[in-house]
Amino acid sequence: MKESHTGTSSGVLEGRRVEGMVVRRIERELYEVFIGPQHPGSGHMRIIVRLDGDIIVEADPDIGYVHRTMEKLSEVREWLKPIPLLERMTIIDACNVTLPYVNALEKLMDKKPPPRASYLRVLLCEINRVASHLYGFGIFGVFLGHSTMYMWAFGDREVFVELAEILTGARLTHTYHIPGGVRRDMPQDFPQMARRAVRYMRRRLEEYRKIFLENPVIVKRLEGVGVISRNLAADLGIVGPNVRASGIRYDVRLVEPYEVYDELEFEVPVFEEGDALARTWVRVEEIKQSLNIIEQAVDWLERHKGEVIPKEDYERLPKLHKEVYEKTGRVKLLPAHATMKVPAGKAVARGEMGRGEIIYYVESDGGTTPYRVRVVTPSARNAIVFKYVVPGHRLMDLPAIYGSIDYFPPEADR
Amino acid sequence: MVLETILYLIAYPPLWQVLVVGFVGGLLLAMVAIWFERKAAARVQRRIGPYWASPRLGGFMNIVADMVRYVTQQVIIPTTVDKVAFIVTPVAMLVITILPVAFIPLSPHNLYWPVASMDYSLLVALALTTLPPLLAVVLGWASNNKFSIIGSLRESYVITAYELVAVLAILSAAASTLSFNVVHIVEAQQPLKWLALLNPIAFLAAFLAVLMSTSAFPFEIPESEHEVVAGPYTEYSGVLYALNMGGGYIRRFVYSLLIALVFLGGWAPLTPGLDPLTGLIIPSLVVLAKAAILMLVMSFLRAVYGRYRLDQALDAAWRLALPLALIGLGWSIMLAYVNLI
Repeated sequence: MKESHTGTSSGVLEGRRVEGMVVRRIERELYEVFIGPQHPGSGHMRIIVRLDGDIIVEADPDIGYVHRTMEKLSEVREWLKPIPLLERMTIIDACNVTLPYVNALEKLMDKKPPPRASYLRVLLCEINRVASHLYGFGIFGVFLGHSTMYMWAFGDREVFVELAEILTGARLTHTYHIPGGVRRDMPQDFPQMARRAVRYMRRRLEEYRKIFLENPVIVKRLEGVGVISRNLAADLGIVGPNVRASGIRYDVRLVEPYEVYDELEFEVPVFEEGDALARTWVRVEEIKQSLNIIEQAVDWLERHKGEVIPKEDYERLPKLHKEVYEKTGRVKLLPAHATMKVPAGKAVARGEMGRGEIIYYVESDGGTTPYRVRVVTPSARNAIVFKYVVPGHRLMDLPAIYGSIDYFPPEADR
Repeated sequence: MVLETILYLIAYPPLWQVLVVGFVGGLLLAMVAIWFERKAAARVQRRIGPYWASPRLGGFMNIVADMVRYVTQQVIIPTTVDKVAFIVTPVAMLVITILPVAFIPLSPHNLYWPVASMDYSLLVALALTTLPPLLAVVLGWASNNKFSIIGSLRESYVITAYELVAVLAILSAAASTLSFNVVHIVEAQQPLKWLALLNPIAFLAAFLAVLMSTSAFPFEIPESEHEVVAGPYTEYSGVLYALNMGGGYIRRFVYSLLIALVFLGGWAPLTPGLDPLTGLIIPSLVVLAKAAILMLVMSFLRAVYGRYRLDQALDAAWRLALPLALIGLGWSIMLAYVNLI
């Protein structure tokens, strides 16, 4: 019989049991390493890793370190105010993360944004998707000891962050969507800037390929590492680029097009291998598709003029607000917006973030605040990968898998 | 007359060896290497790198400021560590790291560099370079930290694999010149019969092994931040950490000196004279310059590659680097057999 003793470094404190803590038997032969929450490679979470030599026998993702009670906080805020709050879940993907909430709200209020507003939303969503993937790339690069990829990705992300700033006025926390439209029209010279950014990024992706994706060291680190088979991906219910790298063609933009995604031409890249390298390539291909969508969106926006909020909302605006809107494209909201009441009902909306599918369930009892807001974020669904995919790999594969699934703790913890 | 006296004073062996090679060579070159590493990486990554501390010097003072910070920082000694080993090991490691320099002659003359006539200088210097890694294991053990222990274990794996390659590859020079005396090896290569040209395989193996065993580029596996924080050095702070960190660069400096002498012809294409200027000062500066170039090349690679996985690195050592070193050794013996050198 193997010798084992009771207790982990939690559970038993100075020889005395602490009530309410989990105590489990561990094997003496295994080396238990706590990676995080204060660790350069963990992010805001902890992965409890049990090692047999260099091989990981068990990996336990311990999440919840950045839980900020967002769902509950949303219940005590007027309808518009959860938008800037929910953005903080995934501050690097702030547009995509709040869009389904606004869509759910629109379903409840029976409002439909004018096409121009929809296009602007899609434009910002894709800009955000590129920025979000680049952020993931940067972190991934430094996880693999490739500091150049880190700096390049973060430097190039700046281009898209600035595009978003020009469009919305804020680098990260755009708070761009309002029920029935967007907060601001596009500046006159925006299409040129967007096209330049797209051209620049296409050129850079080529350089990324040379230095990172086809770098022999990186390929060696990623190929065949953290393989998620098609079946496993379906069983675990993971979403986003991770599931598409395992050969499952699932993208909310495709299966349930929202906004104007059904009018745009784009592909959903799917890879069959399911390893870390395939997940990396999916993101690269997605950036390319997003760049195409950005081009299409600015082309459309250039050709079609129109309002960015519904007609009835526009007509209700006082003269001064209309003047500001005509001159600068900015929508100044009426105080009535802050205290608006939403008809009682339930609505579900979903969208595709950079990291995968996000689902909102919004319930109204007819008051000035939501009765219930429920969010299921992609990272929350992807966290399970650690438990089922990491065991069997070497300790040095952990950052490779972590980086390749692009897990973002604040998003999972809400 | 006055000039000559000053020259003789400077060329006084303890002064030149300790001050110029030890202090200027070791310390300054390590600083330049760190600076270059930051600056070159910044260039590749489209940044500026160190700048504000002294814009005219390209931010070189940044490194000095860093050192001042390390020296004045609080040294935290955790209560759980083995105190004596924790404090003594970094100091001992640095001393042992720089020790091989005492057996590496940078001048052919016994007068200026007493070790020059020692017949086993290469062997002793190489033997001494293999000592510091042992202390890295002590370091990890003394820290009493899981990441430190994993880091130390990795260090011991990597070093067992690559030290052998480095030693074999550098010793192949002795095989082709039939001497363990560094001066003889250098003189056999005059003026342009450099072993790096005659035996590029051994040179490549030595270069790779040095990169690896000094934890440079894709190989900083023992300190790989994203699994083991800072490896053996996790618990260290302040000046003790600086000693550890600087130790790596000094190790690289020592190896670079050896490679510059053994493979790159030492003071060639120069023929040393007898007076202090042409017999000591210029030859040793030539060797230092060659070593500096080697160090800078090693620094540059860092920006381009990622990190190997531990098992892949070990695999590369036993399957690729070791056969390479053996082939290099065989090639050297053949060189000696056909009297090419």
